Amino acid sequence: MDARNGDLRIGVYVCHCGTNIAATVDVKAVAEYAAALPGVVVSREYKYMCSDPGQELIRQDIVELKLNRIVVASCSPLLHEETFRGAVAKGGLNPFCFQMVNIREHDSWVHQDRQRATEKAIALVRAAIRRVALHKPLEKKRVPIHPDVLIVGGGIAGIHAALTLANAGKHVYLVEREPTIGGNMAKFDKTFPTLDCAACILTPKMTAVKKHPNITLWTLSEVTEVQGYVGNFEIAVTRKPRYINEDLCVGCLECIEACVYKQAKVPDEFNLGLGKRRPIYISFPQAVPQIPVIDPETCIDFKTGRCKKTCIEACGDRHAVDLKQQPKQETIKVGAIILATGYQTFDARKVPDYGYGVYPNVYTAPEVERLINASGPTGGEVILRDGRKPQSIGIIHCVGSRDENTNKWCSRVCCMYSLKLAHLLKERTGAEVYNFYIDMRAAGKAYEEFYHKLLEEGVHMIRGRVAEVTDWAVTPEEEGKLVMRAEDTLISFVRRVPVDMVVLSVGLVPHEDAKDVRRLFNISCSSEGWFLERHPKLAPVNTFTDGIFIAGACQAPKDIPDAVGQAGSAAAEAMVLIDTGYVEMEPNTAYILEEECSGCKTCIPLCPYSAITFLADKKIAHINEVLCKGCGTCVAACPSGSIKQNLFEDEEIFEEIRGVLANA
Amino acid sequence: MAVKRMIKYEVERDPQFAGWVAGVIGGERVRNCIQCGLCSASCPLSPYMDYTPRRLIHMAREGFKRDVLGSFTIWLCTSCYSCTVECPRRIRVTDVMYALKRRAIEDGVYPKRFPIPVLASEFGAMIRRKGRVTESWLILRVFLKTAIIRLLGMSKLGSKLFFSGRMGLVPESIRDRKQLQTLLDAVETHKEVAA
Ligand SMILES: Cc1cc2nc3c(=O)[nH]c(=O)nc-3n(C[C@H](O)[C@H](O)[C@H](O)COP(=O)(O)OP(=O)(O)OC[C@H]3O[C@@H](n4cnc5c(N)ncnc54)[C@H](O)[C@@H]3O)c2cc1C
Ligand code: SF4
Ligand code: SF4
Ligand code: SF4
Ligand code: SF4
Repeated sequence: MDARNGDLRIGVYVCHCGTNIAATVDVKAVAEYAAALPGVVVSREYKYMCSDPGQELIRQDIVELKLNRIVVASCSPLLHEETFRGAVAKGGLNPFCFQMVNIREHDSWVHQDRQRATEKAIALVRAAIRRVALHKPLEKKRVPIHPDVLIVGGGIAGIHAALTLANAGKHVYLVEREPTIGGNMAKFDKTFPTLDCAACILTPKMTAVKKHPNITLWTLSEVTEVQGYVGNFEIAVTRKPRYINEDLCVGCLECIEACVYKQAKVPDEFNLGLGKRRPIYISFPQAVPQIPVIDPETCIDFKTGRCKKTCIEACGDRHAVDLKQQPKQETIKVGAIILATGYQTFDARKVPDYGYGVYPNVYTAPEVERLINASGPTGGEVILRDGRKPQSIGIIHCVGSRDENTNKWCSRVCCMYSLKLAHLLKERTGAEVYNFYIDMRAAGKAYEEFYHKLLEEGVHMIRGRVAEVTDWAVTPEEEGKLVMRAEDTLISFVRRVPVDMVVLSVGLVPHEDAKDVRRLFNISCSSEGWFLERHPKLAPVNTFTDGIFIAGACQAPKDIPDAVGQAGSAAAEAMVLIDTGYVEMEPNTAYILEEECSGCKTCIPLCPYSAITFLADKKIAHINEVLCKGCGTCVAACPSGSIKQNLFEDEEIFEEIRGVLANA
Repeated sequence: MAVKRMIKYEVERDPQFAGWVAGVIGGERVRNCIQCGLCSASCPLSPYMDYTPRRLIHMAREGFKRDVLGSFTIWLCTSCYSCTVECPRRIRVTDVMYALKRRAIEDGVYPKRFPIPVLASEFGAMIRRKGRVTESWLILRVFLKTAIIRLLGMSKLGSKLFFSGRMGLVPESIRDRKQLQTLLDAVETHKEVAA
């Protein structure tokens, strides 16, 4: 027994977790075994230790039996270590005079043999009892939090989170890599299920962002470096040149008209190549900021240096056009980060059977969104690439979704947007519209009703995945058409449906660079590449990295109502953090035994968090407790063994190992 | 026109057969089928099938043994593998078709005067006996067992093929038939073990 602690009085609590543990582990036997170990004053088993009565049990025993060490054998510390530390503290004991044993995830859930699972539980509990005897009281350090917030991605989710925080008086940096905020929603004409005009509901929020005194908006910008930790992040942002000075530009757009390119000749990214723009352009009429951008790839002056620079002339004494603008680095400090980087759509070329890129009249849904948009390349008229107006249209659901050959997941919004497009296309063209779906996923407020509306409008609903789109005609009516072949599974006939226009309802996929963003911010991704939430039900906007939250479609495919809901929730979580004013740091940090450190500097370059510095006057290394994350690298590396780590002292670990092996 | 009862009672389901389907080589994933119909739509023969491949997969995994083994569908499948290549749930539809064909022959429940299963079993039997197929005799046997009348209609084509030397009447055979027997026996016993 450890002399430091004087008399040892240990309490042991074995949890049933309902039947989660009790069904596989004989909890009574474990408790009885522990009761007989030296130092143990009381040993109990209880149905739910994490419940209020369970926690009360611990508190009461500490007070009445004067316990000074506690062991709880239950689930993963990830779930309830904090709960039990709280209960220990309520009894008046230092919360670190406690050790938790995981006999659920590490035992009952992974074993079937009851006897051997019980033996394992006993060994783990014995180890914890021997370990806890050596635990020292520790204090958590409090570190103040920086009140500003960084939001990455200016889609509807990022915009909503930014406005929420800014309205609550927090300063927000909104970093967007495109020339305008608005994200995918800015490209739509109408939104399901209410069919309200996307621009009418989105652009007021976009302008509010620009005008808000609490929001610093950086477009054409990307985060390039993230340092620090919850409450105290240090962020480097690279701002690409726009070649227009944002402070001087008044948004008159005269420079665009003045460009030497009289005709727009460059494929327009915002219109997905369906329209053309000039080298100096604005993404769409309501873009925010209302400032043009120059594309150095196509601007004549960048290529030859010999342009007449009519744009500069047109700008006159406002002097906003600046062809010499250079990238700018900004460094900011923030307390919390919200990632709202959204999604990209599936590349339809990966399903060659549907002929995208081969047949000009095969479109992707995002392209059709632009085609029917009043500010799109055709002014909202549905005109095919060959100039015709379609009289029959086929919409294919689940392209790049629900398919082991591409992506397994259901993209969740495409059934609904396919219905929306069916309605809008029928309204604009009067065409016969066929929706080929596998299952109609219309779960949402007023979504099923929207589906019913489409049924009433006479859109053909064919339940079957299309096998191919071909221009090979079998009957005279099929000549000159695109023929879609599918089984109409509800009547068990294979059907061939000739149409003028095919719409591919492409799925939502993670951004190509999502993995890089994940690494930059040190958060996790699911195997598919979506940002991983801390808990799918109970912590949907938290990540495993404290202080970093996620919102919108970067977490999984979702529609606008859900993206906005998550954005509000992420903003609230960030606010809770900031308004608390401080973070408590885990005390499991490393410390240097000053008398023993030889000043060899081995540890300094090894620390992944740059927490170790060299004290030149004393010629020894020093660990900054606030920066140390307790990874233990330096502890293991120090050649003279002069680095120790709280809660992971050598003696504690050895005693634990001895405990496991005691009966082996 | 006769009115047919279409309702299915639970007693008509054979859960053992359903389990067998999910256990045959290629059938492991039938329970993953989402009934999307892509197999049927990509199948060149589905327009002639009594049940589309999608429907057959579901009938099989539900255990409607009689309807499945008695269907024309399995005999119309040409093993082109389109369905298997396209299936979004990676179900090996073609291999399931093969397993069902074998089972139908074993159980003797295939459609009786339908030439394809007869051709399949006659072909197999001839190989077993001679190690080689003599087309003239094979065709003769198949027509005798299915549609004798149609044989007369084919006589003109038959004689043309005969006189141009495309089709002989002398039964062909391999030299060492015993070796082949041993080989086939080994395969058969292995199959028993696997089943
Ligand atoms: C064809 C189609 C039609 C749809 N129609 C509807 C509809 O009618 N109704 C509805 O509710 N939903 C609809 N949706 C779904 C809707 O698009 C999403 O719910 C919504 O856009 C999600 O918003 P977001 O802010 O999470 O992501 P996004 O809109 O994708 O915004 C993300 C933003 O982050 C930026 N960004 C990404 N990476 C970085 C980075 N590394 N650094 C800086 N910035 C970055 C992007 O440029 C973008 O501006 C539709 C989807 C599609 C494909
Ligand atoms: S939402 Fe509908 S169209 Fe989209 S993947 Fe899911 S089932 Fe397919
Ligand atoms: S324990 Fe890890 S984080 Fe802490 S000082 Fe040592 S190396 Fe750095
Ligand atoms: S293609 Fe595959 S998933 Fe679709 S119905 Fe056929 S077997 Fe089932
Ligand atoms: S393998 Fe058989 S069932 Fe499959 S597509 Fe070809 S013919 Fe049809």
